[in-house]
Amino acid sequence: MIEGQERVQQFKQEIAEMRVRDPATGRDRMWLRVGVVLMIAGLIVAGLAYPMSHGTTNPLSQNDALALGLGGLTGAVVGSALFVRYSVAGFLRFWLARLSYEQQAQTDRLIESLKK
Amino acid sequence: MSNLSAVEPPDNPARSNETGHQDHNLLELRGIRAAYERIDVLFGVDLVVPEASVVALLGPNGAGKTTTLRVAAGLHVPSAGDVLIAGRRVNGAKPEELARHGLCMIPEGRGIFPNLTVRENLRMMTYVGRSLAEIEEIAYSRFPRLAERRTQTAGTLSGGEQQMLAMARGMATEPALLILDELSMGLAPIIVAELYEMVAQVARSGVSILVVEQFASTVLGVADYAAIMVHGRIERAGRPDELAADLSKAYLGG
Ligand SMILES: Nc1ncnc2c1ncn2[C@@H]1O[C@H](COP(=O)(O)OP(=O)(O)OP(=O)(O)O)[C@@H](O)[C@H]1O
Ligand SMILES: [Mg+2]
Repeated sequence: MIEGQERVQQFKQEIAEMRVRDPATGRDRMWLRVGVVLMIAGLIVAGLAYPMSHGTTNPLSQNDALALGLGGLTGAVVGSALFVRYSVAGFLRFWLARLSYEQQAQTDRLIESLKK
Repeated sequence: MSNLSAVEPPDNPARSNETGHQDHNLLELRGIRAAYERIDVLFGVDLVVPEASVVALLGPNGAGKTTTLRVAAGLHVPSAGDVLIAGRRVNGAKPEELARHGLCMIPEGRGIFPNLTVRENLRMMTYVGRSLAEIEEIAYSRFPRLAERRTQTAGTLSGGEQQMLAMARGMATEPALLILDELSMGLAPIIVAELYEMVAQVARSGVSILVVEQFASTVLGVADYAAIMVHGRIERAGRPDELAADLSKAYLGG
């Protein structure tokens, strides 16, 4: 069956060219998690810095606590940025796909009505 | 894997080594493990569907046959192992994309809409980019019985006719790889024989077919190769006549 052969050939071709969900989306998810972890860890570190500073009169230890608190803050800010970046990216991609789909449907409808 | 090599075409002496040879297998499962909610149901399944052949997957209730098919069709993500289609690893590919390219799975229970008519059921398939007329042409030429019943609601068709409708819907996508789950479920032996006559016809047109059955009887008549699955593993694989003797043992738990 030549016809069937062609069909199988086409199938193989399409499968070979198909875009399989690449590990990049997995990386997206990893960065998202890193963001969440950083946010929480930063908050905890910043929170712990206060009792550390409060519990001593030694200015050197207090400076350490200050630095630690600032470090925690930085971590939380960076974490939030990562989180926003990667959660919004996923959402925007979806939104864009939808937009282009609607555009397509709109165009189809227009062509349809022009044909009449 | 001696099991694996047993399913390969005997006229091809090359074993399943790394290169070249893979192209002859339209579908290949390698060491597939799968679980539902952490309960393992497949424990390293190796299965091969060579190009232009019919492979029967047999086994008792709960062996994991349906799960294996779902993994092959991209509907269930395996926890380990590889799914290869035409030699390409397609783990993580979207099921609808595989379907669009020509992998068609007809599920257990047929997957038709009982409240719609035969014609409406066929019309649902126009999403593949064919007109209703073309789809009806494909469907009715293969299954003339459906033509007489085009305005009947699918739920009132006989079981055999429903299965024909399910297959007709599948054929509308012009599949290159057809996956059938328990075609014979709840049907009289004569009807099953009739359905398998159609399966054989489809196979002759060059479509590769993987078919699951619980009871061997009719399917072994049309299969080129067969495999017996028990408890999430392929117990035996080979030519249907080689397996006939092992089958009763598998079901009796021997
Ligand atoms: N959605 C699910 N959630 C949890 N467990 C499931 C699910 N589907 C199947 N299982 C379990 O997985 C195992 C294998 O099921 P599967 O449907 O693959 O078997 P099968 O060989 O097709 O059986 P049958 O011949 O009865 O159709 C069974 O123990 C079943 O209970
Ligand atoms: Mg099943």
